[in-house]
Amino acid sequence: MKTTQNSSGDVRLTGIGKTYGSFTAVHPLDLTVPEGSFFALLGASGCGKTTTLRMIAGLEEPSQGTVSLGEQDVTHLPPYKRPVNTVFQSYALFPHLDIFENVAFGLRRRGLKSVKKQVDEMLDLVQLGEQARKKPHQLSGGQQQRVAVARALINHPKVLLLDEPLGALDLKLRRQMQLELKRIQTEVGITFIHVTHDQEEAMTMADTVAVMNGGRVEQLGSPADLYENPKTTFVANFLGTSNLIEAEVDSRSGEEIVLKAGDGKLVLPEARCAAPATTGGKVLVGIRPEKITLTHADDAGEIPVGRNRITGKIAATSFIGVSTQYVIDSSVCPDFEVYVQNIDRDARLVPGADVVLHWSPAHTFGLDAAQSLLAGTAGSAGVEEGAAL
Amino acid sequence: MAFLNWLKRHLVVIAGLLTLGYLLLPNVVVTVFSFNQPKGRFNYEWQEFSTAAWTDPCGVADLCGSLSLSLQLAAWATLGATVLGTLIAFALVRYRFRARGAVNSLIFLPMAMPEVVMAASLLTLFLNLGAQLGFWTILIAHIMFCLSFVVVAVKARVMSMDPRLEEAARDLYAGPVQTFLRVTLPIAAPGIAAGALLAFALSFDDFIITNFNAGSTVTFPMFVWGSAQRGTPVQINVIGTAMFLIAVLFVVAGMVVTNRRKRQKA
Repeated sequence: MKTTQNSSGDVRLTGIGKTYGSFTAVHPLDLTVPEGSFFALLGASGCGKTTTLRMIAGLEEPSQGTVSLGEQDVTHLPPYKRPVNTVFQSYALFPHLDIFENVAFGLRRRGLKSVKKQVDEMLDLVQLGEQARKKPHQLSGGQQQRVAVARALINHPKVLLLDEPLGALDLKLRRQMQLELKRIQTEVGITFIHVTHDQEEAMTMADTVAVMNGGRVEQLGSPADLYENPKTTFVANFLGTSNLIEAEVDSRSGEEIVLKAGDGKLVLPEARCAAPATTGGKVLVGIRPEKITLTHADDAGEIPVGRNRITGKIAATSFIGVSTQYVIDSSVCPDFEVYVQNIDRDARLVPGADVVLHWSPAHTFGLDAAQSLLAGTAGSAGVEEGAAL
Repeated sequence: MAFLNWLKRHLVVIAGLLTLGYLLLPNVVVTVFSFNQPKGRFNYEWQEFSTAAWTDPCGVADLCGSLSLSLQLAAWATLGATVLGTLIAFALVRYRFRARGAVNSLIFLPMAMPEVVMAASLLTLFLNLGAQLGFWTILIAHIMFCLSFVVVAVKARVMSMDPRLEEAARDLYAGPVQTFLRVTLPIAAPGIAAGALLAFALSFDDFIITNFNAGSTVTFPMFVWGSAQRGTPVQINVIGTAMFLIAVLFVVAGMVVTNRRKRQKA
């Protein structure tokens, strides 16, 4: 096995950037998408993810930097000469051609004469064999979506680009198509690059997610890695929910940093701190709502030693079946969110009750305190409604 | 009472039929009088039934010559106006250039200008340029006034076109020419066809501008006008009826084709 073979199909973006006049859509960025992976570009609208995708497709000329597919530099190739196909937002199916001809379009343009067998096979793969002679507007949204995928995949591209492919579908269908796309990707083994503003969609499907914000890649990693170890407040808030506490570095002992938040002390593993922690300096302490255990103040004595703890008062509760979500008012962080699985429900945990929140220090992460606490939340600029669910 | 109720229930149909009758009556008169055998030179009073004019439509001197000239002019004017108008429409919708706004409004000017004013000023222009009045001056004039209508029809269509369709074509290995021929043109075709039909109709029956700029050339509308001074041959009604029938035939054929396609799809 030659080692070069492994990288022969990688998509490599080197210092690629795009400016429109004085507006910078994409700051120069480096990105490598390994061959055969399912890669997601995640971000709010206007973060530069679609522009990045369009530069890979060749529909947008980069202002600087290069795009390579494997060994080939394709930066200056027009889209029709790149071995890359796109599934467009709202599909862009040709309205004057039937489903068969839509799917056959790419093959015919490359001069293939007998396309029937391939097209029929592809239509069967997406379960649309019966609809071959219908026009796109006669199909449902989900069927059109599958035609768009088939039309791109039939060309066996090196890379398939998906630009918000599920945005126009309703929730149930979207779930179904997420699994369907993942299945197809596993089956054909082609590199998928998927642009989306839906963090759940990105996490469900992709092996690797690049979170983009303001034309830059904020963080890159596997969904679990991004969720557990966010490096910026944007990532912490955009992927799921995070409770962030401003704290001061009190002392350091071995692998651990001891922090002072209000009157209490919190412990943070040094390895999970993304900011330089000098004694006396500020750090943001983060904890996910589902990692926290909620104990009534009367039982505070039963909490094991060594756990991070904070006291507060329940401000609101909402029961959502599988879990109960609490909003806790505490001195170090207003609106502290806690999700508790409904295994044994403590009847005393009602609004107004005094509680102790505690969690394992290993679940704590630390962020640079110089950033906005609210970056990436639903209310902050640049984040679409519903994007940060 | 019963009559009033009946009237209430059928009011829409009656109003519709009356309106249709109002629209079609002139055509009926033209058709009926194409079978007349007038006494004297004017075909204004019904005398007796005859198919003489139908069996000899070119029986009047110069009539078929002028008809053929009008058809040729209309064909060329349609071609010229449709090609130029389509290009202008695409340029106006797709590209941002200096004075785009001005061009966008100026293109409507020929539609808004009184025809007789334009006719007179065109004649002045041609005379000052020393142009020989005839087929070419008429053609130039016709292309000019048909252009605005084509631009309006095509522009509406191009504006409603999703630019992503062309991106999708380029993404699927179609070069610029293939993209235009396989995607852009077929999708814009209904708008272009509407513009072309409009141009043909406008050019074929134009009288005012043509009359000013024709010199000694005589088109069909000019022939009808000219002969109306001295008498109206029945053949004019024959040609009129034939044109009407051909138009109706086209519309019916179009409807049949569309219906059949719809039924096949369903």
